[in-house]
Amino acid sequence: MLDILSLLDISFFLLAALGALIGIIFGAIPGMTATMAVAVCLPLTYALGLHHGLALLLGLYVGGISGGMVPAVLLNIPGTPSSITTTFDGYPMAQRGEGERALRVSVVASVVGGLVSAAILFLFAPLLAEFSIKFSYVEKFLIILLALTVIASMSRNMLVGIFSGVIGIWLSLIGTYSISDGGNGKTRLMFDFLEPYLFEGFSLLPVLIGIFGIATILLEAEDGVKSGLSGKEIKIGKGGGFSFGIFKGRLTNLVRSSFIGTFVGMLPGVGGSAASVLAYTQEKNLSRDSSEMGKGAPQGLIASESANNALTGGALIPLLSLGIPGDSTTAVLIGAFTLQGIQVGPLFIPENADTWYVMMTALVFANVVMFFLMFYAIKHIAKVVLVPQYILYPIIVMMCVVGAYAINYGIMFDVWTLLIFGVLGYLIQKVGLEVAPLIIGFILGGQAEVYFVKSLESFGTYSIFFTKSPIAVVLWLLIAASVAFSVAMGLKSHVKRRLETSQ
Amino acid sequence: MSMPNVPKTLGASVLMVGMAFGSAAALAADGPLRGNVRVVIGSTSTGGDTYQNSSIVVDALAEKLDLNMKVDAVGASSAFRFLDRDPRGNTLMIFHDQSYLGYLYGVEGYDNIFEKYTIGPTVAINPGNAYLVPKDSPYENLDQIIAAVGDGEEVRVAIQPGGVSEIGFSALKNAIAIEHPGSEDNLVAVNTGSQADKNQQLFDDQADLINGTVQANEQYTRLPEDDQKAMRFVWLTARQSTIEEAPEEGLGQTSREQLLEYVEPNVTVTMGDENFTFDKEFFFLYNKDMDPAIVEQIDEALTEIYAEGEIQQVQKNSFFIPNFKPSDEAAEYLENKMSAYEGIIENIQ
Repeated sequence: MLDILSLLDISFFLLAALGALIGIIFGAIPGMTATMAVAVCLPLTYALGLHHGLALLLGLYVGGISGGMVPAVLLNIPGTPSSITTTFDGYPMAQRGEGERALRVSVVASVVGGLVSAAILFLFAPLLAEFSIKFSYVEKFLIILLALTVIASMSRNMLVGIFSGVIGIWLSLIGTYSISDGGNGKTRLMFDFLEPYLFEGFSLLPVLIGIFGIATILLEAEDGVKSGLSGKEIKIGKGGGFSFGIFKGRLTNLVRSSFIGTFVGMLPGVGGSAASVLAYTQEKNLSRDSSEMGKGAPQGLIASESANNALTGGALIPLLSLGIPGDSTTAVLIGAFTLQGIQVGPLFIPENADTWYVMMTALVFANVVMFFLMFYAIKHIAKVVLVPQYILYPIIVMMCVVGAYAINYGIMFDVWTLLIFGVLGYLIQKVGLEVAPLIIGFILGGQAEVYFVKSLESFGTYSIFFTKSPIAVVLWLLIAASVAFSVAMGLKSHVKRRLETSQ
Repeated sequence: MSMPNVPKTLGASVLMVGMAFGSAAALAADGPLRGNVRVVIGSTSTGGDTYQNSSIVVDALAEKLDLNMKVDAVGASSAFRFLDRDPRGNTLMIFHDQSYLGYLYGVEGYDNIFEKYTIGPTVAINPGNAYLVPKDSPYENLDQIIAAVGDGEEVRVAIQPGGVSEIGFSALKNAIAIEHPGSEDNLVAVNTGSQADKNQQLFDDQADLINGTVQANEQYTRLPEDDQKAMRFVWLTARQSTIEEAPEEGLGQTSREQLLEYVEPNVTVTMGDENFTFDKEFFFLYNKDMDPAIVEQIDEALTEIYAEGEIQQVQKNSFFIPNFKPSDEAAEYLENKMSAYEGIIENIQ
């Protein structure tokens, strides 16, 4: 144990803190992600050595995932894909002048999610890895399907919502069924002349920033130039209306969402955004008072942010106990090991106990630093909304364009994607379609296809989806419950509306 | 001078000093290659062998040429596109045999690299391409698998289609077609994606044999037999001479001597008159219109680097086998290699 203490010098902690800070900045800038931050700093691990390098990278990872909440709440732009569900309640709160309160709730939820997942990682990693390999294509498809059921409960009008979701899935299928996923690599759903641009489909982040960020700006621009929020009351300073009392009665939500985040994180190939979407769905289905969710309820933020930070520990489980990255950021992180010639695989933890303890220390420390950095910086960050819109919006558009261009290392078509989806996002709201189901369909559609096709290829029969394993049966029950709940909720609000109109 | 101008003046002088130093650094490199050089690779993974090997080579090259060089993991189709766009030499590419195997397998986005690009020097081999079975598999070795398929048993092989992962499968199928004509269809490809997917197919009992690597799968081979995840090597596609150059301690806890059990002459896959082997080799690719002087400059720099002998040690420590061949030699060598594999792929179609 003393050996490990000797590895933890002051520069180790400084690097983890620095990583968290830079990560937060990366996460907060639309179009820059935790994955990018880790990728940019990866070569530094050569100079820093493995342990110091890992401190920096884990700091970046935790910071990057957390930073995404800032633009999600204040500007309705998810800074990282896993913070879309944060926009659902965060932005309405910010519009009511409660941006600071929303951010504080998110930060607390984030640190809880991060620490819970770190604890699970530390205590149960090998055991959970064993469990995660019980999830074959079939179970992974069902997880995605379960996340997709959120579309039904999230829509204002169920039929329109489902229609929007289907459009989202359709958009996600443009491009190829990639050969690297075992597909045939042929392009589809496009004209021949588009092939050079759309070979790999629309990239996720430009679509996300376009449909949320650019569309929001267009909608605001339509209202004409205003000098900021001067007309509205803004609660800033003295905690902005935040107290830990908000978490009273929300403990179940907090813990459940942290577990969901960790769990989804540890399934390789099920993307990070599925974690926050699933946690959000479950809160919506299981809590007694979910009617305010989507209109600015702190419980939505708690679900979303605790789940997406819980991803960090979750995604490290398969990385460290199977040698398989759990998400796109840990896929980059694995480079830190290979560059140093360290094998990751099922024997990593027993054979590299020092590195394992060092990583845990860095992970927990980065979470704590992230909390203090953000919790106390929030009252300054929240002032972003005070900047007059005619100054703020052009800056955001510029940052979005730069981010979109940079995300795949300089593809101009990504900038066009951003603008196309910006306009599309504006138009679909004008014709009455719903954005949230559409984007969830877009994010999950590609994976749903791959796992569906692979299941059929492997097992050759549709019945396998029901008979594969007890896990599959449990997932079907959850899916059925989720759908039944949405239908019941839909009927209830329908009756309520009818009563109101008849009165 | 009024006060507000002070910061401005300071800023301007800092800028000028910066520019002066900047241009001095750019001029310091007196070869035809100058400025910032971006090396794109055909893989999107920064945890993979292409990134790792490219980093080693590019770091050494950047130091030798005194240039700012950076490796970008952009993936094959983007990398080819970036290379197409830049004849100045500020974008170079490093990739491996996938670059022509993708073309042979007819994968979209792959052209004949020997016609479309200038082939640069080879730098290293990754000797780790491997095939594995579950530890409790009924098949003791590759010969038993070939015999079983010949007897009409179906054997499922998890691969990623269209390249390096498939070539061993194709060769195996070809060997079965030669030794047991008509039975080759019993060797079935299970098309999957990443290494994680291939492993999962084995855990789920959806595959009997998987493609993997020594680096990614060695720890799995050391798990106890009753572990669902335990695997066993049956074949390394590398040449015997390649593995013989690996460090004696091998990788992880598997020594070179143990690895040699899975290559010729212990394991053979026939191509008719000779045996099939496959070494995954990394090499540079250049834009066809790039100044030939740059080709020469990089060849010379790498010749010096390899003559110094340090890079070989770094590569071996990371389980790569150094294999420097200057451009001309590399182009001829790789073209021959491609035509050998072209024969196999045509035979089994």
